[in-house]
Amino acid sequence: MPESLAVRRAGISTAVTPVHEALDAFASRDHTGEVLTAVRHFPAREAQWAEFPAWVHPNLVSAYAAKGIRRPYTHQAAAAEAVHAGKNVVIVTPTASGKTLCYNLPILNAILENSDTRALYLFPTKALAQDQLAELYDLNQRLENCFGVFTYDGDTPADARKAIREKGHVVLTNPDMLHTGILPHHTRWTRLFENLRYIVIDELHTYRGVFGSHLCNVLRRLRRIARFYGRDPQFICCSATIANPGELARRLLESDVEVLDANGAPAAEKTFVFYNPPVVNRALGIRRSYINESSRVAQEFLNRDLQTMVFANSRLHTEVLLTYLQQANPQPPGKPESIRGYRGGYLPNERREIERGLRDGKIRGVVSTSALELGIDVGSLDTVVMAGYAGTIAATWQRAGRAGRRGGSSCAVLVASSAPLDQFIVRHPDYFFGNTPEHAFIQPDNLEILINHLKCAAFELPIAPGERFGDADLPDLCARLAEAGFLHLAGENYHWTQEAYPADTISLRSVTSDNFVIIDITGAPNVIGEIDFPSALVFLHEKAIYLHGGQQHHVEHLDFKERKAYVKHVDVDYYTDAVRHTQVRALEIAEQARVSESHREVPAARAHGDVLVRSQVVGFKKIKFFTNENIGDGKLELPENEMHTTSYWITLERPLLQSLPFSVSERQSGMFGLLHALESVATFLLMCDRRDLGTAIGERPPDASVGQTFQSVPSLDPLSSRDFTPSRMEDVISANTKEFFEPNLYLFDAYPGGIGFSEPLFRTHHLLVQKTRELISSCGCEQGCPSCVGPAGDLAPRAKEAALAILDHLCA
Amino acid sequence: MAAIADKFSRLSALKPARPVAARPTALRAPDEEDSLARLLGAGVAKNHFGEHLSVRNWFSTPEYLEASSASLDLLSRSRDESLSRRTRAALTDPEKWLFLDTETTGLSGGTGTYAFLVGLAWWDAGGLQVEQFFMRDFSEEHSLLHELCGRLAERPVLVTFNGKSFDWPLLESRFTMTRSIAVPKLAAHLDLLHPARALWKLRLGSVRLVELERHVLDVPRLGWRRDDDVSSALIPQFYFDYLRGGPMEPLAGVVRHNQMDLRGLAALFGKINTLLSEPGAAAETQSLDLFGLSRFLQRRGETDRAHLACSQALEIGLPAEFRPKARRELALMAKRRGEHERAAEIWQEIVADPQDGIYACEQLAIHFERHARNLSRAAEFAHLGLAKLRCQRSASRDPFLAARSTWLEQKFLHRIARLQHQMPISDGLARPLALSRSTGETEAESRYRHR
Repeated sequence: MPESLAVRRAGISTAVTPVHEALDAFASRDHTGEVLTAVRHFPAREAQWAEFPAWVHPNLVSAYAAKGIRRPYTHQAAAAEAVHAGKNVVIVTPTASGKTLCYNLPILNAILENSDTRALYLFPTKALAQDQLAELYDLNQRLENCFGVFTYDGDTPADARKAIREKGHVVLTNPDMLHTGILPHHTRWTRLFENLRYIVIDELHTYRGVFGSHLCNVLRRLRRIARFYGRDPQFICCSATIANPGELARRLLESDVEVLDANGAPAAEKTFVFYNPPVVNRALGIRRSYINESSRVAQEFLNRDLQTMVFANSRLHTEVLLTYLQQANPQPPGKPESIRGYRGGYLPNERREIERGLRDGKIRGVVSTSALELGIDVGSLDTVVMAGYAGTIAATWQRAGRAGRRGGSSCAVLVASSAPLDQFIVRHPDYFFGNTPEHAFIQPDNLEILINHLKCAAFELPIAPGERFGDADLPDLCARLAEAGFLHLAGENYHWTQEAYPADTISLRSVTSDNFVIIDITGAPNVIGEIDFPSALVFLHEKAIYLHGGQQHHVEHLDFKERKAYVKHVDVDYYTDAVRHTQVRALEIAEQARVSESHREVPAARAHGDVLVRSQVVGFKKIKFFTNENIGDGKLELPENEMHTTSYWITLERPLLQSLPFSVSERQSGMFGLLHALESVATFLLMCDRRDLGTAIGERPPDASVGQTFQSVPSLDPLSSRDFTPSRMEDVISANTKEFFEPNLYLFDAYPGGIGFSEPLFRTHHLLVQKTRELISSCGCEQGCPSCVGPAGDLAPRAKEAALAILDHLCA
Repeated sequence: MAAIADKFSRLSALKPARPVAARPTALRAPDEEDSLARLLGAGVAKNHFGEHLSVRNWFSTPEYLEASSASLDLLSRSRDESLSRRTRAALTDPEKWLFLDTETTGLSGGTGTYAFLVGLAWWDAGGLQVEQFFMRDFSEEHSLLHELCGRLAERPVLVTFNGKSFDWPLLESRFTMTRSIAVPKLAAHLDLLHPARALWKLRLGSVRLVELERHVLDVPRLGWRRDDDVSSALIPQFYFDYLRGGPMEPLAGVVRHNQMDLRGLAALFGKINTLLSEPGAAAETQSLDLFGLSRFLQRRGETDRAHLACSQALEIGLPAEFRPKARRELALMAKRRGEHERAAEIWQEIVADPQDGIYACEQLAIHFERHARNLSRAAEFAHLGLAKLRCQRSASRDPFLAARSTWLEQKFLHRIARLQHQMPISDGLARPLALSRSTGETEAESRYRHR
């Protein structure tokens, strides 16, 4: 099934380009037709032009003309009009479609008309802000430097800060700096806040989950301060393509937002290929290494002198791929290295040099982490090779968007790893190429997050009666904070009464600030990193092998009181895997329903609500590298970790289980396999990381099973085993001698208070089970593999069959 | 409902950072505010914004010391700012000086830090008049700031210790937060932290006001003892405890602490003025302080006086560790004054110094190349510097030092190449550069190696 030949034969491009030759080389090796799972061809698209709106200042028109932009695309003109009309907008466009003009045009125009106007641009990373600075700087020079544009972040020198606060018309920063460096010092920024008219939020889709929930609260604080200075700024957001950009923007901004998703930018002819490395062991579902395969694919392109960008998902893989490719393409004597690496940790000058080298073609290949995924300008390349799925469809398109040299033919190849998500994507290309199912969710009213930002807000301005902050019951929360010594009621207002500076201890990337510091005591004690509390229990328990920077460390001592872990360098041939017991108890059900509304008789239900999660690391296994043999284990006595969070769950009722033609252990293996697959698909739908979700199986509360209604279980003995069912299968089996218990399959938010995944999972239940079924049924393994229900060795035989049988009921 | 209560008790965001005072605010008796006033010896000040407490005290010490206009000029000058006539008039009028020190709810700054006690002082009747404003609660801040505004209008020359980067920006921020009281305009702001640091850091290590009182100011003359002084680290918590109904007694200690700081500040102002006014006061000044003075004067562009103070310091005798540094500065000053021969003399004295030797070689190479026009001597010192540099680099593993060495090495090699290009062929030192590069062995080096 050499599809790539079909592309060539399709006659869309008459000439056989080097890109097509390379694709044919892959196709000719793909004897079984299982490697190239999709080859999609996207013909070139013409630009759709508009005129600059009549209100645009002539100087600005000529500045753009001098840059070679004589006319805007239709979508740019439409966006500029919407901004000019004073609307909050979210602009959804693919990579390289000129989205910055959409906001720069109306904002610079407003500054030209009134030089008091101020704008704040937020980018998720410092590198992106730097890149935008270059663009604005260039425009500014063509406008005789009539406005001030600066980045303001941790790298800004202290002596430059004052000038920026006074003279910056456009200040480019990131949410973290806004949170710790600008808002708590707003009195120094009076010029900005008194004239703040526009706020640009670029890469909106990156603000989801924890980070998005924090940003929403930072924006609440920002608007509160703007109000103090008499301003109500307008928001302009840009997002990659996701299913719900408008919903996300409305949730983040807490106001009405217009969605603009047309695209008038031209596009080059492009082929998108899914490449699944060949299977080497069919029974175990083991494929050839995707890193080696990615290097081979990239080499095919480089051999044909196609400028190529390779994306890897970790720094380690970046380095490995770079080594392979540099060895295959030795540096010509007297010439600069033609294959380069690019990632965070490289110095800014080196990065600029690489970006230049890519633009002028001196560098033929670059291996990058996600650092080059977002809008940094490196020009367009011929081909992009992705070693592993980027985690989301949106990010994958952004990476693929790096290929697309105008007038030529370009190609993007996704090389799948054996991770479930990768396998799901390459085997179901229609999900990827159709309308994206990816949703971004946030939960800004997570109490842990909200209260932390309320503290910051009180530090910034005393909290007045009648103020609002999200959906929170403000008087009640303020009273609680006062009781805990954070606030003090004076007159009518609550004032901050702590010496500490609240924003300093609140990271926008995690829910609580309870961290362990990792100290290397091989030589002189040296802090090498920090890790959040729950992860510390899993990765830093005593005797664990902790990997940091590619180096193995043995954990000597975990000091709970001081929140410190002491580690020493070691060189051993194994790693450790913590054995964790997780127990979930439903506290309060927010909503519940039958799994199928049309077939209410199907004996299964779904729900979402508040749960209490207790987890405890009870031991660990030592696992040998490469062979994955279990070479020993140990017991641990660590404190139990309790977390109040939200969860979605499916209840499998007795008749369903009774109808399954499997043994007890097969059934239970089936449930664990099903949960494994459900988790994979859920992370895909929610654009989240596997770490963001937790799973557990627990028994449905006994009172509920009788009355057919779920209730919260407030006061049962917390240690009662009926109430808590350990999630480890061996324990399930031993603890449940009853043949049929009614299990709840929990998918919970792995953050205290929940981060907004549970309700969406409940709403999207049908899609979730349907895709889970497709994932498992289309997997080529015989009895389960990490790509579907989990590694075969961990499960009883026929687990895969049992999981599918359960799914048949759920999908009825 | 049990679940809801549970929900709050588990939140780490609500966990108190430290135990909270047990007594709730509401329990404060109505007449307690009066007893606080009595305790502090304060009166209630009222204006249209409300009221706050005000404490007034006159102290006979420290005594008023005159300040020369030269000294005030030095203290107020920041690099290239020339003073307007109005500023100068205000500056030289002791009636316009206002000493200021605040006690705050934190040291980190930012909009959530309050100055709950603002201490002011000015010279009056040969002694020091101290006035302190205290807010009994946050709601009294507006009236306090309004009063402060009035005092600053009368006395617009602010004198502080670290007030330029801490107290005043904090107060500016407080004024901005009111949205109704404009930030007062200052005629001048003399901050004593930097002068004090320049003058005494070498000798004392720390220039905290308490240290200065002990080692620089004449303690018995100051008329107070710090024995029972409250620790500044505890001050914010004393105030928070008081706000929540805790004991008010510690606040009396805070008020006293602030008074002592103000008096120390006034005394320090006198001391610094004396030092800066009298160029001839060398005899009774310690050599290290003279060296400090020289560095301060140099920074403020008073090169003549700086030079004098530096040579005096060397004459009286500096501790060994400071001597090369002082000589080096003296040489640089001589160079800047155009006294190249004098500078070269001093450089020759420090060529053997392990720390500054390389730098001295470079300076001597420059001197002989540009001023003395003795190219072979210049090349000699360039080679010597290069040899020292290579020797130093091979002995050290510090990557930063290595990077700097490489850079310096390039400079030396360039210089040597240029010198050789300029020198007549017959000159004994002229020979292929490659040789010195590869062996690192030169005549100059072997000549100086065993010195």
